[in-house]
Amino acid sequence: MPSMDDTDRTIMNRIQSDFPITSRPYLAIADDLGLSEKEIIKRLARLKESKIIRRIGGNFVPEKLGFVSTLCAAKVEENKIDRFASIVNRYHGVTHNYQRDSEFNIWFTFIAPSMEEIEKNLENISQETGIKKILNLPATKVYKIKAHFDL
Amino acid sequence: MLTELEKKIISLIQGDIAITQRPYLEIAENLGIPEEALLDTLKDLCKRGVIRRFGATIRHQKSGFKANAMTAWKVDEDRVDEVGKKMASFKEVSHCYRRNPSDEWPYNLYTMIHARDEELCRETARTMSEAASVDTYKLLFSRRELKKTSMKYFPTS
Repeated sequence: MPSMDDTDRTIMNRIQSDFPITSRPYLAIADDLGLSEKEIIKRLARLKESKIIRRIGGNFVPEKLGFVSTLCAAKVEENKIDRFASIVNRYHGVTHNYQRDSEFNIWFTFIAPSMEEIEKNLENISQETGIKKILNLPATKVYKIKAHFDL
Repeated sequence: MLTELEKKIISLIQGDIAITQRPYLEIAENLGIPEEALLDTLKDLCKRGVIRRFGATIRHQKSGFKANAMTAWKVDEDRVDEVGKKMASFKEVSHCYRRNPSDEWPYNLYTMIHARDEELCRETARTMSEAASVDTYKLLFSRRELKKTSMKYFPTS
């Protein structure tokens, strides 16, 4: 596994939720941390290269963009999982899909312009795959969304 | 609602900001607008809560948080707010939502628990269960990642 030293961790903690929106963002980070811009760029490029950083950019609230989101769960027999996943994953609104150990064993998130569209897509998925049992579980209340991890 | 320019900007910053001296200038030039206008719009989108978080997304598996358990809880409906808030206060919990239960799946509160290994996830769930007095719950460890991407809003091509 690629390793991170303390400086890497400090940089990561600095930029997980508050990446500077300014003309030279890496210089701003460098000034904050008492490092050089060159050093920040070199280290971040390495963290990106070693895939510790997935991406740097904006994360949105779907509802504020006029979209709706939901979590879906399906009961799929072991030997049908690959085919089911390949059909579900074709939808670009399906952003996360995991096999989990439970009676409902396939869990995926779905984002689309309307719940009607998601329901229609789920029906189509059921028809195409023969998997009848797909739960549609939109969040009715959000108590926490956090994506900052102290490293 | 969003202007056409805002949609274009969103479609470009939902990807990956370059790790170069002037990453925003590059994006602004792509859009044919001044860098300053791009920066102002981004700050405004953050302020309006359209952008929930602007920053680096890490791969947990590579950063020491190797295990994650989606945990489904069955909570008395009249306690769900109280329990949801309590569970959200745990630092190991990244997401906490209420969702409607159904006959074949009676759970109504969901937390995502992150830890170094599965046993620590279980331990955290036990602690949460005691702290919130909720006995019926299920840990769903991910066995296989079948897809993980970011949503592409307003695709330009």
